[in-house]
Amino acid sequence: MASTQILGEGAGQYLDFGIFHISVTNALIMGAMILIFVLAVVIPFPHHKADNDSDAQ
Amino acid sequence: MSAIEDTAGAPPRRAPEAVSPRSHDRTSWTVWARDRIKHTVPEGQWLPDRQPAYVASWVYVFGMATLVSLVIVIGSGVVLSINGSEWWHTSSVGHFVNSMHLWSVEIFFAVMAIHLWAKFWMAAWRGGRSLTWMTGMIALLAAVGTGFTGYLSQTNFDAQWIGAQAKDGLNSVGLGAWFNALNPAATLTLHIVVLPLAVGAIVIMHVIMVRRHGVVPPIGAEEPTS
Repeated sequence: MASTQILGEGAGQYLDFGIFHISVTNALIMGAMILIFVLAVVIPFPHHKADNDSDAQ
Repeated sequence: MSAIEDTAGAPPRRAPEAVSPRSHDRTSWTVWARDRIKHTVPEGQWLPDRQPAYVASWVYVFGMATLVSLVIVIGSGVVLSINGSEWWHTSSVGHFVNSMHLWSVEIFFAVMAIHLWAKFWMAAWRGGRSLTWMTGMIALLAAVGTGFTGYLSQTNFDAQWIGAQAKDGLNSVGLGAWFNALNPAATLTLHIVVLPLAVGAIVIMHVIMVRRHGVVPPIGAEEPTS
């Protein structure tokens, strides 16, 4: 039991929400992934000038 | 034209294509293979130079990002396997390649998860793409197994700790009879041979399915007919 506590010390910070128990690092990574997904949906994709020209024709 | 005219009045010679095996000639394995490949992915769909307008979106980038990171994962893994654990634990170049292997795996799983979200919300199994969806899901499961055996193959205390915890977990669900997480030889073989081959084969099948049916259009968008 003592060795378990020693290994547990300094192993990172954790967030507790009822039954949910997650490390701050994992929560940040998941948040960044969700942010990237939302940005990928929202941000327009750059177009080449040639594509725009051919679209206009 | 099926024949070549002879200007000297001799009987016309048959054109070279007329004597080659026909597409229904099943005695020629090359013809059979060519027909199978054409049937699976018609010519022009392997490496298309044009895509429907709706593909011009960042959300369609993550499939290719997953493939690129997988190539880096496999490449760095090959270098690690050639040089061995002493090299990646002690030399600076070994540390670099080891880190490259770790972080390409992290990016691989992150972009694969975003790719999965995008395809789930697009209902990417529409339009006869069920096999594309299923091969993608199986590739994800196989990749999770490959990543897990990778954690066990680090040859450090972290691997030992994860192996001991995984042994209890696998025993609790009845899988301990088939897979012992504390057997480093079996784990390493699974990680560098068996599972990468499985992931590679499934990913190739997935890409073939994508090329065969094309990328899925967003819900409400019209798919090009040709």
